[in-house]
Amino acid sequence: LTGCLGRRARPVRLCQGCHGHYRRLLAQYDSIARAVGNSSESHNCAKSILTSDRLQIVVTLSEFFNETWEAANCANCLKNNSEGLSNSTEEFLDLFNKSLTCFEHNLQGQAIDLSPNNYTEVCKNCNETYTKLNDLYNHLQRMNRQGGESAHSAHLCIDVEDAMNITRKLWSRTFNCSLPCSDTVPVIAVSSFILFLPIVFYLSSFLHSKQKKRILILPKRIQSNANLVNIQEKYS
Amino acid sequence: MANVAKKVSWSGRDRDDDEDGRAGETTPLLNGTGPGAAGSGRQLTPSSFLRIGQLSNVDLNEDIHELETEVPRPRPNEIPHNEKLLSLKYESLDYDNSENQLFLEEERRINHAAFRTVEIKRWVICAMIGILTGLVACFIDIVVENLAGLKYRVVKDNIDKFTAKGGLSFSLLLWATLNASVVMVGSLIVAFIEPVAAGSGIPQIKCYLNGVKIPHVVRLKTLVIKVCGVILSVVGGLAVGKEGPMIHSGSVIAAGISQGRSTSLKRDFKIFEYFRRDTEKRDFVSAGAAAGVSAAFGAPVGGVLFSLEEGASFWNQFLTWRIFFASMISTFTLNSVLSVYHGNAWDLSSPGLINFGRFDSEKMGYTIQEIPIFIFMGVVGGILGALFNALNYWLTMFRIRYIHRPCLQVVEAMLVAAVTATVGFVMIYCSRDCQPIQGSSVAYPLQLFCADGEYNSMATAFFNTPEKSVVNLFHDPPGSYNPMTLGMFTLMYFFLACWTYGLTVSAGVFIPSLLIGAAWGRLFGISLSYLTKGSIWADPGKYALMGAAAQLGGIVRMTLSLTVIMMEATGNVTYGFPIMLVLMTAKIVGDYFVEGLYDMHIQLQSVPFLHWEAPVTSHSLTAREVMSTPVTCLRRIERVGTVVDILSDTSSNHNGFPVVESNPDTTQVAGLRGLILRSQLIVLLKHKVFVERANLSVVQRRLKLKDFRDAYPRFPPIQSIHVSQDERECMIDLSEFMNPSPYTVPQEASLPRVFKLFRALGLRHLVVVDNRNEVVGMVTRKDLARYRLGKEGLEELSLAQT
Repeated sequence: LTGCLGRRARPVRLCQGCHGHYRRLLAQYDSIARAVGNSSESHNCAKSILTSDRLQIVVTLSEFFNETWEAANCANCLKNNSEGLSNSTEEFLDLFNKSLTCFEHNLQGQAIDLSPNNYTEVCKNCNETYTKLNDLYNHLQRMNRQGGESAHSAHLCIDVEDAMNITRKLWSRTFNCSLPCSDTVPVIAVSSFILFLPIVFYLSSFLHSKQKKRILILPKRIQSNANLVNIQEKYS
Repeated sequence: MANVAKKVSWSGRDRDDDEDGRAGETTPLLNGTGPGAAGSGRQLTPSSFLRIGQLSNVDLNEDIHELETEVPRPRPNEIPHNEKLLSLKYESLDYDNSENQLFLEEERRINHAAFRTVEIKRWVICAMIGILTGLVACFIDIVVENLAGLKYRVVKDNIDKFTAKGGLSFSLLLWATLNASVVMVGSLIVAFIEPVAAGSGIPQIKCYLNGVKIPHVVRLKTLVIKVCGVILSVVGGLAVGKEGPMIHSGSVIAAGISQGRSTSLKRDFKIFEYFRRDTEKRDFVSAGAAAGVSAAFGAPVGGVLFSLEEGASFWNQFLTWRIFFASMISTFTLNSVLSVYHGNAWDLSSPGLINFGRFDSEKMGYTIQEIPIFIFMGVVGGILGALFNALNYWLTMFRIRYIHRPCLQVVEAMLVAAVTATVGFVMIYCSRDCQPIQGSSVAYPLQLFCADGEYNSMATAFFNTPEKSVVNLFHDPPGSYNPMTLGMFTLMYFFLACWTYGLTVSAGVFIPSLLIGAAWGRLFGISLSYLTKGSIWADPGKYALMGAAAQLGGIVRMTLSLTVIMMEATGNVTYGFPIMLVLMTAKIVGDYFVEGLYDMHIQLQSVPFLHWEAPVTSHSLTAREVMSTPVTCLRRIERVGTVVDILSDTSSNHNGFPVVESNPDTTQVAGLRGLILRSQLIVLLKHKVFVERANLSVVQRRLKLKDFRDAYPRFPPIQSIHVSQDERECMIDLSEFMNPSPYTVPQEASLPRVFKLFRALGLRHLVVVDNRNEVVGMVTRKDLARYRLGKEGLEELSLAQT
């Protein structure tokens, strides 16, 4: 399994390539831990393999594999009993391969002159496949989010994510295909209009609204008028 | 006279007054016909003030009364609103029990066991306050989450659609219109139905706990409007939070439950009748405020300390313990209901409306070298807070003067909402700060002009509810925001929040302050790690937290309770020390410039608020100079007609009347016998407890304390009580109902002494007497609150009708 993981690290194909190994590992570990029946001797056997030394290499290794598997979220791409890739994943990978070939195909003609603006043809031709791929990915993601509530299953499996990442990067960075039309002028017009409104409002209310007056009430008090003077005098 | 000899320090005019007074006393004054003429003859001399003042305790005929009120008043003096005014609208609460005979009788009847039931009832009420406050908080949280989610989804879909095709100005319009219309509804209900529900409600509760009766502040209607208003203004995307209003909501709930009835709904559950008076209600309101804080921040201890800090002049150990109980119940309720709502029942990990998330000690620890940096951040927070308050001061002044019509207020709120959306949109539009999407940490990732698979990081700050943005700023990994984004965001949000506070919507200032602070704190942290070439102090989240604390402290200037609230909200005790330092520095620096936001708003609303201590330089003032005089007194057995006339006199809307001996001889002076309140008189008139009637119909039952309680807290106005012409000639005996032992001070008592008595006992009326126990004057809250320490020494505020 280690070899398999290492070999398929980049581009990421972990779940596709290694699920067989993983399954076998799981079975093996299971049989060690819960060997023949529940008798005390076999329990001892499990003990002697798993927990007899300080390093406990078998346990550590198996934990490491488990964690990697979890982190990669491979369970999300595989069928329930992890026997093979699920249908949706295969569909996705199909589309992915198709768009990749489309990219390659269209690039071959102009592989020599790589000036950045010359990718328009790729964009035009592969747009359909790419959009389909993107939609499918979003759809899968949404399905996944609805299905599993807990935090870690919110991701798709690493294979799919990575494939999508690569495609997206190619599409928007290298080919510069997703160029949204920027309509700066209307946005500026509308926003300045809205920003202008409060100024009008405040000015008009300043000019037209009657200022609120308070009616002073003289308190009933001894030496009411002289009071402040008194205070000041006592200060000095 | 010994009286004069003692007070040689007085001005020369005094001696004349006293002589005048003596002259007055020697004249036989039975029905007041004589002095009426005498008074009119001498009315223009200034000394007639005091003379009548001494007369009026014997003589209360109405024409004299009119003379003394009408003559000295010049034409109504109109001035524009400013901060040096005290409004007549506000009255004190009667925290001091009126210990009249009825009360004493009832207290004697209650035996030991009954007192124990009362005590148990108090605990039950506190538990109910906690539970209901928690439930209201849940309701607000869930509704806001869903409505805001809906709004952001709609706008996001729209933006995504138009990014590809062009025409983003439509998305902008959609966003602005959505915001404005939601805020319009929120503002409409506040402006037209219950204006007191505007703002965060903390100033109002502060005043209430200080002893000022703000009309409508603890009504059920206010609660409903407050809750709906908060939901609408948060959903409307204003720069506001829902935490401050929770405190108000908790207080209203407490006031409602402890009375066991609702006058708005006209339902009386006939329970908790013992608590129907201001003293008991205040205790429960402080518990409610604490429960509100604890539901808002998940900080039960902070809630208790908040109540302590704001309403602490009346405090005892048992009350503290009960309040703590209410806070704990409240946060527990919120916790369990939200855990059920989020699907993991009994997990109990979301204790407050805002959750700062977990701050790990290992990752976000601090070292001693960082303390000076934190203190520097406190200084920055203090300065920025002072700037915020100063700007808001001018704005509020403008609003009070010019934007006082409800329609204008609604329009203003809508404009602010639209502008908030526009600013957010323009910032997002102009920002080129793209970050890769990391899983699902961002709730509504906006792509806009970013590459596929990336999101606009300005959008995480603007395109979200403020609470979420705060948490993002605390916890997003280093590098999620670039400095330019944060700087622009801080600047814009600062002005937006400042503009928003004081609108006619119900909304709090806690979260916006935290957000501003978190943004510049994070910016500070990032630049620090640039300067030190990315050394140990790598995590900007820590600095975001300190910045948030500094900014909040600089704006609201709370110290003790805020420290504990922040500490509890982060769930990390080791941050207590730096947070305390930061808040202290922010307060010291901020106080150097202007006062705190809440105090400022209290002052701008002309509330007679009594601070902890009398102004420091006020020792030279005595009760004689402070008091109001002449005092309208009642005789112990008084004509009904006189009482009715005094009560319905609009020019002197007094609430407490000293009761003096009824039939003084010519030689004997009329000493003070007791104090009676307007509310009590009204109940007496309503039940027609007249001497003659008592003689006529022996069967008529005696008035009990219950009759007074049933009328509480909304006593009918005097106009609604009909007194026939015959009845006007009846007599009314007040001796049974008045408080026979009111607090009094001699004329020579200094202002700080009077102040201390007033503040510590929560008095409403303090009678000033001379050494013959004659009523000379009356000190009320407004007489004390009008002295204030200004820029150049002591200054005096004037009273005004608002």
